[in-house]
Amino acid sequence: MKRKALNWSLGVATPVLLVAAWWAASANSMNTFFPPLSAIMVRFRELWLFDHFGSDILLSLRNLLLGYAVATVAGVVIGFVTALVPVARWALDPVIHFLRGIPPVALVPIFISLIGFGIEMRVASIALAALFPTLIATVDGIRSVDTTLKDVSSVYRLSRGEKLAQVYLPAAGPQIASGMQVSLQVAFIVMIASEMLGSSEGIGAMTLLAQQSFMIPDMWAGILLLGVIGFGANLVFELLKNRILAWHAGSRRLANS
Amino acid sequence: MKTQIKPAAVGALGIAGALLLWQYLATGPMNGSALPAPGHAIAELAALLATGTFWADLADTILIALGGLAISAVAGIAAGLLIGSFAPVRYATMAVLEFLKPIPPIVVLPLVVLVLGPTAQMSWVLVVIGCALPIVMQTVAGVHDTDPVARDTARSYGMGHAEILLRVTLPGAMPFIGTAMRVAAPAALVVAVVAGLLGGGPGLGQSIYQAQAAGDFPVLYALVLVLGLLGLVFQGATRLAERRLLHWHESYREVVL
Repeated sequence: MKRKALNWSLGVATPVLLVAAWWAASANSMNTFFPPLSAIMVRFRELWLFDHFGSDILLSLRNLLLGYAVATVAGVVIGFVTALVPVARWALDPVIHFLRGIPPVALVPIFISLIGFGIEMRVASIALAALFPTLIATVDGIRSVDTTLKDVSSVYRLSRGEKLAQVYLPAAGPQIASGMQVSLQVAFIVMIASEMLGSSEGIGAMTLLAQQSFMIPDMWAGILLLGVIGFGANLVFELLKNRILAWHAGSRRLANS
Repeated sequence: MKTQIKPAAVGALGIAGALLLWQYLATGPMNGSALPAPGHAIAELAALLATGTFWADLADTILIALGGLAISAVAGIAAGLLIGSFAPVRYATMAVLEFLKPIPPIVVLPLVVLVLGPTAQMSWVLVVIGCALPIVMQTVAGVHDTDPVARDTARSYGMGHAEILLRVTLPGAMPFIGTAMRVAAPAALVVAVVAGLLGGGPGLGQSIYQAQAAGDFPVLYALVLVLGLLGLVFQGATRLAERRLLHWHESYREVVL
C-alpha cells in the first residue's frame, strides 16, 4: 500500500519537477533558441488568449474537424461496401493500398496545385489523408467478423439493414475505433502541414512564420499550443471511445475472468 | 486456382479504371488545370529515373528513414527495457510519455529546423523523435507481458538479472517490439519526407517542394507516385522482416493440427 502511494506520487511529481526544472534552467537564459519559459508563457497568453483565438485557433480546429468528419464517414461507408461486395474489394484493394502508401503530407502539394491555398485545400488534404486508416480498419474489422455470428444472423433472417447496423457495425466497432484514432492523428498532422506549406493563417502557419521571423518565444508558444491540442484531441477521443465501446470492454472482462 | 486469378484480374481492372478516370479528368473537365495526364506524369517519371539527382534524393530519403529508425530502435528498446524492469522508473516516466505520445514530430519541426537548419541532421533528429517514443512504449508493454513463470524459472535456475533481461525478458517482449517496428518503419519514411518538404532537409520531400514551387506539376505527380511505391515497399519489407525474424515466437508459429 505504502509502495503504491510512493509510485503514484512519483507519477505526479516527475512532470511537475520537469516543468519546474525547465522554468529554473531557462530563467536567465541568454540562448536565443531557448528563451525563459516565463517569456514563452507571456507570449502564449498574449497570442492565444484570446487575440488569435477566433482568427487562428478556431479556424485550424474547424478545418481539422470538418476534414476529419468527412474522412471518417466516407471511410466507414466505403469500408462497408469494400468489405461486403467482393467485386468492389478486388477492384479497390490495390488502388487503396497504393494510395495509403503515399505519405499523407505529400498530398498537400497536390491539392495546392489543384485548388490553391484556400481553406478548401486544407480541408480536402485533411479529409483524403485521414480517410485511409479508417477505411482499412473498417474493411479488416468487417472481414474478421465471426462466421458463426454471420450464420446466426442469416438463420434469423435479419434484413440487410439489420445485419449492417446490429451485427457488422458492433462486431467491427473496436477495430473501426482504433482506425479512427489513427485517422485523427493523421488529420492533426496534415492540418499543421497544410498551414505550414501554404497559408498565413492558422496555428501551424503562425508557428512557422514566428520561426522564420526569429520571434522565438512566439514559436515556442505555438509549439506548446499544438502539443496541448494534439494531446487533448487524443484524450477526448479516448474518453468517447471508452464510453461508446464500454460494452466491448465489459464483455472482454467477462470473457477473461 | 481460379479463385485467385479472378481477384487479381479484377484488381488489375481497378487500377486500369483509376488510370482511365485520371485520364478523363485531366483531358476533360479539368483540362488546363494543374492536373497532368497520367501518361505525361509517367513519362516524367521515366525521365526522372534517368537522372542522377533523383537517385541521390531517393537514397537520402531511404538512408534518413532507415538510419533514424535504427537509432530509434536501439535507443527505444534499451530505454523500454529499463523503464519496464523497474517499477519506480515506470511510474516516474509514464505520465510524461503518455502526454508526449499523441504529439506528432511535425509539432517540434520549427524548433528543430531553427536549431539545426535545413540539414540532414535535422531530418535524422525528427525521425528519431517520431519513432523512438512508440518503440519505448511498446517495449514497456512487452516487458510487462513477459511470462512470469518463465522469469521465475530463470531465477530459480540461478540466472543473474542481466541474463534474465537478455534471455527471457527481451525475447518475451519481441512480438510487441515487432509490432512497434512495423508501425514505425512507414512512419519513419513519412517523417523523412515531411522533414524535406517542410524543413528543407535533403531527399524526395525537398524535390516535391521544389516541383510544387516551380509549378512543375508532372514532376510533382511523378514524385508522389514514387513515394506511394516506396511506401508499399516499406510496408511489405517490414512485414516480411517481422515474420522472418520472429518465426520462433509462439504468436507467430504456424499452427500444426
